[in-house]
Amino acid sequence: MSTAETRRKRLARAMAETGLDALVLYGNAWQNDYLRYAVDFGILEGEGIAVVGRDGETALYLDLPIEAERASVECPEADIRLASDLVGEVAAVIERLGNSRVAAGPARHLPYGLVRSGKRFEDATALIDRLLMVKAQDELDWVRKAAAIADEGYAVFRAAARPGRPDYALIAEIEAFFRTKGVDDNFMIIGVGGPEVRGMAPPSGKLLKPGDMVTTELTPCMGGYYAQICRTLVVGEPSQAQQQAFYIFKEALEAGIAAVKPGVTAADVARAENDVFRRYGLGDYVTSEYTRVRGHGVGLFPDTKPQILEDVTTTLEENMSIIVHPNTYHPEVGYIVLGDTLIIGADGPEVLARTPRELFAGTAGKEG
Amino acid sequence: MRRGLMLWREQELSATDVLSRQQRLEAAMKAAGLDAFLVYTNHVRSAGVTYLTGFTPYWSDALLLIVPGKSPLLSTALSKRVGNWIRSVNPTSEVAHSPKPGRLVGERLAAAGCRRIGVLELDRLPAGLAEEIASVSDVEFVDASAVFADVRATADRAELDLVFRAEALAREALQAVDPNQERAGEAVSLLERVAREAGAEECYVAVAPDLEKDSRLGRLGNVPLGRLFAVRLSLAYNGVWIRLTKTFSRDAAVREQVQKLEEAFAEMAPELDLSGPLGPQLLKMADVSAWRLEVPSGTLPLAETANEREDVGTRASYGNLSAAFLLGGATVLLGGPVGHRFSRPATEAAA
Repeated sequence: MSTAETRRKRLARAMAETGLDALVLYGNAWQNDYLRYAVDFGILEGEGIAVVGRDGETALYLDLPIEAERASVECPEADIRLASDLVGEVAAVIERLGNSRVAAGPARHLPYGLVRSGKRFEDATALIDRLLMVKAQDELDWVRKAAAIADEGYAVFRAAARPGRPDYALIAEIEAFFRTKGVDDNFMIIGVGGPEVRGMAPPSGKLLKPGDMVTTELTPCMGGYYAQICRTLVVGEPSQAQQQAFYIFKEALEAGIAAVKPGVTAADVARAENDVFRRYGLGDYVTSEYTRVRGHGVGLFPDTKPQILEDVTTTLEENMSIIVHPNTYHPEVGYIVLGDTLIIGADGPEVLARTPRELFAGTAGKEG
Repeated sequence: MRRGLMLWREQELSATDVLSRQQRLEAAMKAAGLDAFLVYTNHVRSAGVTYLTGFTPYWSDALLLIVPGKSPLLSTALSKRVGNWIRSVNPTSEVAHSPKPGRLVGERLAAAGCRRIGVLELDRLPAGLAEEIASVSDVEFVDASAVFADVRATADRAELDLVFRAEALAREALQAVDPNQERAGEAVSLLERVAREAGAEECYVAVAPDLEKDSRLGRLGNVPLGRLFAVRLSLAYNGVWIRLTKTFSRDAAVREQVQKLEEAFAEMAPELDLSGPLGPQLLKMADVSAWRLEVPSGTLPLAETANEREDVGTRASYGNLSAAFLLGGATVLLGGPVGHRFSRPATEAAA
């Protein structure tokens, strides 16, 4: 049974358990996880809506002809329908369902025209979020594959980080590598520099120079599933200050991972990470002023629930896949990232990353 | 997401350029009786905000609020920590961060006393944002896509020059395709690297691996290549998207025929009159079995506006044509920017 078939069966079971007659799932290249749970298509341009019936029959409505054609090639078994008037056509389909119970999601992203079309939807967010968080074994196998390719990708990234090169050349190299490995998508941002760097962003043309810290999070996608690795390297040899700062992040990552097991909350893991910073007098730097989250779920979306934060009470369960990453700003040396994807097993975490937790020394002498 | 180079380049798209576009929209709003104008953006539906400000989000989403006489407000869920980056690539807007960007916009609308709000593609606005706005303001949403389309129809010099630059970059990248490889993945392996190293903001590659069997394009991985295959590169450069399609063959005689067709296409591209039916114009070049014309439309960087079945003219200054030509029984896919106004930039013409 394919992973897509596994998902379809889980979806049908969840619909039956909740008494739903139909699901309406919206997606685009940014927010594609709900849509992809129902139809195994990686949308790139425009928008799509999957309508899933109680019998499991699913139609994917796409608004751009170029994407409908691509879907017909890449997913020959799927029921693909070109709908230039996406909202109007899907609203008409839903109208024909009459008084049946229909849920839709993700609630925030549903087209306004669909919501105000007259049909009252139930909110499918909780139902789908649970399916996305707690995964089947073959879904977890894809996360393992993605994590393995993330390790390979980071080795390519390290080799590419040479003085004199612009930051976007590193991305060019890693993206080309990923395409040859069958990675369709990758989430990545980058930071280059020292204490002036407060986070990561797309490349802006900065040239790497000796002493720069280069941060990145690579998030390749295999079979629709993302896994992430966060690492920091220094162009040339790391300074003592950079090494000392890094050891705090390493200690925090290890504390966070040690806290992961079924039954604890996301807050417990975040607290374990943040307590390390607080012990070193760096408590200010684990607030939202300096960092967004201390980790998050990974799967059909690169940054999914549960967010690892001290105020998130979601209970961690077996077969969730998450990344723990105590990424934040260090006042002496700048922004540092370090994080590993893991799968939550019955007895604790299965850490997927194989790349050592080191502050890597990059090539210093070779230009270009 | 956007992973490539994202940088404000004043010499390519200046603050004056985008301010002029904002002023044109404000004038159109006044004529339409709108108090304010809202444009949604994410990296898929980026074209509206990119046109008005030059800004494209690499991730997440945002709302651009235009109130005449005030600086545009970009309200985004992206965190404050990336605020400096946003401001560096969006110098004409005020940037505000909120986990509820719609609510923030609603508060501004209420404070400014705005009632009638024009929205670009109202039906596609994310419902969560619409609800956030309505929760704090008493406003009437009006679909104002036609107002925006009028402003957008005529491309300015900056946009046309960016299209020209994007096309040159895509042509250079397509040179990296190796037609002698056995498999698609190997043939296009260098393409994306060349494009990104040259400064592409993003690119998507699709392949029709054996045109003698199937002319549909997809992301098919490392499938075997036939005698004749096509590669489509969709590429963004500084916010502007183009598509270039090229057919390759290992057979020297076929290659020569394809090259002649390409030369004819290149000669025809700037001569095409997009305001009228395209089919008859294309037939002057060769037998054409199918084609589509895409133009920037609303929030979409490229949207189909005409094809062989609906051969209607467009007001757009330029478009991207993708066509399937028949060459001795085989299908040849070609495509690129076209249109009367798609002329060489002044600087290059002078050189």
